[in-house]
Amino acid sequence: MKSTTSTSKNPPSDIILEVKNLVQVYGKRPVLNGINFQVRKGETFVIMGGSGCGKTTLLRILIGAQRPTSGSVHIFGEDITTASPQELDRIRLRFGMNFQFGALFQSMTVGENIALPLQEHSQVDPSLIEMVVKMKLELVGLTGFENFKPSEISGGMRKRVGLARALALDPELLFSDEPTSGLDPVMTAVVDQLTLDSTRKIGVTAVVVSHDMTSCFRIATRMLMLGSGSRQGEIVAEGTPAEIKANPDPFLQQFIRGEADGPIPFRLSQDDYLKHLLGDG
Amino acid sequence: MKFSLQTLLNVEGNGYGLLNVRIFGWILYGLTRRDVLVPSEILRQMIRIGVQALPMASLVALSVGFILAMQSSTELGKLGANSFIPDLVSLSLMRELGPLLIAIIVVGRSGSAVAAEIGTMKVNEEIEALRVMAIPPVRYLVIPRYIALMIMLPCLTIFGNCVGLAGGWAVCASTLGMTTSFFIEHAVHRPELWDLYSGLIKSVVFAHILITTACYQGLSVEGGADGVGRATTNAVVYAILWIIIADALLTGLFFFVL
Repeated sequence: MKSTTSTSKNPPSDIILEVKNLVQVYGKRPVLNGINFQVRKGETFVIMGGSGCGKTTLLRILIGAQRPTSGSVHIFGEDITTASPQELDRIRLRFGMNFQFGALFQSMTVGENIALPLQEHSQVDPSLIEMVVKMKLELVGLTGFENFKPSEISGGMRKRVGLARALALDPELLFSDEPTSGLDPVMTAVVDQLTLDSTRKIGVTAVVVSHDMTSCFRIATRMLMLGSGSRQGEIVAEGTPAEIKANPDPFLQQFIRGEADGPIPFRLSQDDYLKHLLGDG
Repeated sequence: MKFSLQTLLNVEGNGYGLLNVRIFGWILYGLTRRDVLVPSEILRQMIRIGVQALPMASLVALSVGFILAMQSSTELGKLGANSFIPDLVSLSLMRELGPLLIAIIVVGRSGSAVAAEIGTMKVNEEIEALRVMAIPPVRYLVIPRYIALMIMLPCLTIFGNCVGLAGGWAVCASTLGMTTSFFIEHAVHRPELWDLYSGLIKSVVFAHILITTACYQGLSVEGGADGVGRATTNAVVYAILWIIIADALLTGLFFFVL
């Protein structure tokens, strides 16, 4: 196993996450094609893009669930793409992941779900773990729900429990996958506020994958848009919310405004359609 | 020793052989660290996988005892050899039918449940969540189930043998007029200890095949509900298939080679 790297000795102090020349190819289709970006300490970095643009693939690579075809991902200065499982586990203790549908353990109660990482990775007394669970539940507005099973609470609550579990070990970095998808506007605002609280009050750096524009502009300090169709795999734009709004790129503007007509294709081009019909494509 | 164990645990890949290597590695590692093997979780799995299978295993063992006694009485009776029925029932159960049938019952009941449970966890991203929380799924999910079944299947087999003998006794006592003392004398005292041990060794091997197959199929689930269904079916089919093949090999080894 290759050791994690010289960069771990002296990482630039405020760069938490650095992605360099990231390429992911499925078959012959490049999903990510030379992606580069950095996330600095304290930022809420939002990755957005249409369906099939590679957001989930990128997130899976960022959390070490998938090895990229090429390129590197440095988290806290250590390259997770070449890290051994043992080294990866050590890095993972410093970040949390909030899954799209919570990924809560159905056989456990809400409290047990949040307590699990504490039981596994800390030596603290069970009574203290119980107290931390209550604190995390209070943080996400679910005080008193310790003994409920995930199947007994709503989708929005499950997302909040997922966030509480992701924050259980007080991570320095939080990944969130579509934290507001499928939620009503009020619950979307609640989850957004929780993300903001995590970054502003607790000092967590957040990387959020989303295509909910309202939510993205509400929470982001910096944003990145991944392209799809003819621009599949490339970064369409990166910047602060104000810079993104001011960017004239028609691809980006169509996405922000949610318009059906524009450069983002939802049908094949005439040539591709013809090839598809004739069985050539 | 630590280096070699870490090497075992860190082997990358998802094959059945690698799952066995990881199980072996974690159990060895667990012997050196107290927090790896969690007694409460192992106990919980022993109850779920083993104790809750008792009623079904009892019913099957009792029926097999009845069947063995009744079938053998029709043929041995013609030869005037009904007195050998207790020996036959006892030896058949201890050496062969006890371990095999109890294993098949547990495959159907608990093996399918384990494959479906782990498979559903995979589909719901719970396995992914464990990995991201730096909790190895094999250590957290497979090891407690593995140890639980390695303990419980031999126990269930011994229990099944006793219940099966009771079934045989019921037939012998009620239809052949055999006394209880005669039945016990022949059924319990006649077989040698090796007959019991060979059956128990078989049940340990069957437990290994059963739980590794079920866990492997569960961890290999791809897709959604159809993937879980396929994994559950595969777990039952492959486990029964390999258990019967292993039974044939072990029988040959124990009674023809050794």
